[in-house]
Amino acid sequence: MRQVGIRGRLEPLDLRIAIGERVALLGASGAGKTTLLSLANGSLQPDQGQVQWRGQPIRTLPRRRRLEIGTLWQDLRLIEELTVSRNVNAGALGRHSLLWALRNLLQPLERRECLAAVTAAGLEPELMDTTVSRLSGGQRQRVALARLLRQQPLLVLADEPLSALDPVLAEEVMLGLLDQAGCLVSLHRPDLVHRFDRVIGLRQGRLVLDESTGDVTSDAIACLYQSL
Amino acid sequence: MPLPIPLKPALPLWPLLPGLVFPVMLLVLALDLHGGGLNLLGRFALAAVQPSLDPPLIASLLQGLQVTLITALLAWGVSCLAGCALGLLSSRHVWLLVNGTTTGAVLVRRLLAPIRSLHELIWGLLLLQVFGLNGWVAVLAIAVPYAALLARVVSDQIDSRNPPASLALQRGGAGPGAAFVTAVLPTVGPSLISQMAQRLDCALRSAVLLGVFGLGGLGTDLVLSLQSLQFRELWSGLWILALAMVLLEVLLNRFPTGMILLLLTAALPAGLLWGSMLQLDLTAPQLADLSLFQAVDGAALMEALTTTPWPGLILSTLGLTLLGSAVAISGPVLGLMVWPGRSAAHLQRWGWGLLRLLPPPLTALLLMMMVKPSLWLAGLALGLHHLGVMGRILVEDLDHNDPGLSQALRCMGAGQRQAWLMGELAPCSRSYLIYAASRCDVILRDTAVVGLVGGAGLGWQLIEALGSFHWAQVFWLVLAYATLTSLGELLMDRLQRQWACQAGSL
Repeated sequence: MRQVGIRGRLEPLDLRIAIGERVALLGASGAGKTTLLSLANGSLQPDQGQVQWRGQPIRTLPRRRRLEIGTLWQDLRLIEELTVSRNVNAGALGRHSLLWALRNLLQPLERRECLAAVTAAGLEPELMDTTVSRLSGGQRQRVALARLLRQQPLLVLADEPLSALDPVLAEEVMLGLLDQAGCLVSLHRPDLVHRFDRVIGLRQGRLVLDESTGDVTSDAIACLYQSL
Repeated sequence: MPLPIPLKPALPLWPLLPGLVFPVMLLVLALDLHGGGLNLLGRFALAAVQPSLDPPLIASLLQGLQVTLITALLAWGVSCLAGCALGLLSSRHVWLLVNGTTTGAVLVRRLLAPIRSLHELIWGLLLLQVFGLNGWVAVLAIAVPYAALLARVVSDQIDSRNPPASLALQRGGAGPGAAFVTAVLPTVGPSLISQMAQRLDCALRSAVLLGVFGLGGLGTDLVLSLQSLQFRELWSGLWILALAMVLLEVLLNRFPTGMILLLLTAALPAGLLWGSMLQLDLTAPQLADLSLFQAVDGAALMEALTTTPWPGLILSTLGLTLLGSAVAISGPVLGLMVWPGRSAAHLQRWGWGLLRLLPPPLTALLLMMMVKPSLWLAGLALGLHHLGVMGRILVEDLDHNDPGLSQALRCMGAGQRQAWLMGELAPCSRSYLIYAASRCDVILRDTAVVGLVGGAGLGWQLIEALGSFHWAQVFWLVLAYATLTSLGELLMDRLQRQWACQAGSL
């Protein structure tokens, strides 16, 4: 990201994340974490500057490149009317045509790959043909994770993936995310930063912290959450 | 050897599946192309941007529009009053409040079913025989089935509310009227008024359609212009009609509930006053000479029953319905999927508006300029009009969608069409299908108006029988038509409840 900013929400900042790097994104509510993640996956356009992925502007990325960036949304963004397997297969849409998508609606395709993703996400295989709207919150979280795994991205962007999760599920989701090639994960859990390579901190839309986890201090992290 | 996984189409696929009929339909129509009227169609298209502005013509069209508006207004007023009354009479909830049973409600519902199953055109032609030429014929032709339709809407709305509140009030000493007004009316009132407001738009379209079949107003002017190939005049009429419809829609959407109630109250006196200013014959209809009906005896009835080709008529009615429904349901979905994007959607909305504007018989006549008449052509003409309606419903649903889902799919590499299919169509597919089921009902009723193209269907045979005063056949055809449409209504009801239940249980 080069000098990207959104007036009123995020001050211009320069940020570079290497493939394979695991980055924790910290900040109080309203600091701009979701805005930053939305800029990173291209769902939001900056007022200034440019976001690039592997040297290409994110606005003009072809599908096969967009496939390399996976997002675990805070609101999950699952297709309520469809079954678990079809939702998980949505993660693979970037590799296939419209006809494949239609065939997937007729009969769930690539069951083996789908099952692998579901199992890796810790979801019971028996739920594969269950409509998502019938699932509990924790199960839906796993479906979203399975969809992400099915996508096989090079970079995972996760927006507060552990909020409202019990400790066991939270740990499973963390492991699933950290297993990826690289990730940028927004958290309200400073206690987990040691599991990342680098920590980024936002405060009122400004990038105020960018250190490796070995160098960051607890005071610096605490500063992110202090009221002015 | 592993068992093959059975096909389990997901809900978003259901609106698309009827689209499988398109290749066959296009092939059949291509074989029936005669091309003789291509030049005429070109002239028709060109005339859209060159309507006639001849002052006497415009004055005549405005006169016709006024007749149509008066018909619609009066029909609307009558049907809303009667519909509300019948709706209360057919509500299980109301009967429970009044006498503790629901038998009466069930009986009234059963009686109303055949009344709403007959198309307003058929009512119009029947009433024409009974009352002769009179302004009220067109009004009653629309008001009678509309009242029965509205009664169903009213009773369904009331019965969908939780009865314990009103019953609890009654047990506490409140009278049934007070309990109803306190516990039920506030919850159903606003939505009922909104639904009644929409009926005025429908009444206007029906009034135009009746005019196409000679019952006066703008519809008559339109069909005469088309038959004499005066396309510029035809488009003058269409643009005037479009303007009236748009104005009406804007007004109805902006009017608060109170204004709509006021409009409803004033509909009858305003319509009568307006009609008297135009010197329309709105005197009380007198019974015409009914001696013709006396020729119907047992022998005539038996002869009509045995000589009418029932299998062919029923099959062609069902065929028309299936073809029309397939076109109407899958058309907008295919259109938006193949051509997604904001500008494409705007363009398609305009197209759908045009299709809604043209009554199906006019569309059928236009298509006949290049294709030979057939059941497929009739089905297409019927379907295209309703495609305009379904398209509008679809975009209204889509507009309420959260764009986050399709955005998320695009971010993970999905193409524009894939994201539209899974992220926009999928969330509203259930409500679209529920509405489609009720639209199939309407399409079945509307088969009567396109039969002229294919010479097909029970409805069209009924119109022919009415025209030749074959009353014995009219009797059986009315019975058969009403039975078929009532059965269709039951089937669609079941489908709607099934889909709605699935949603509720999720």
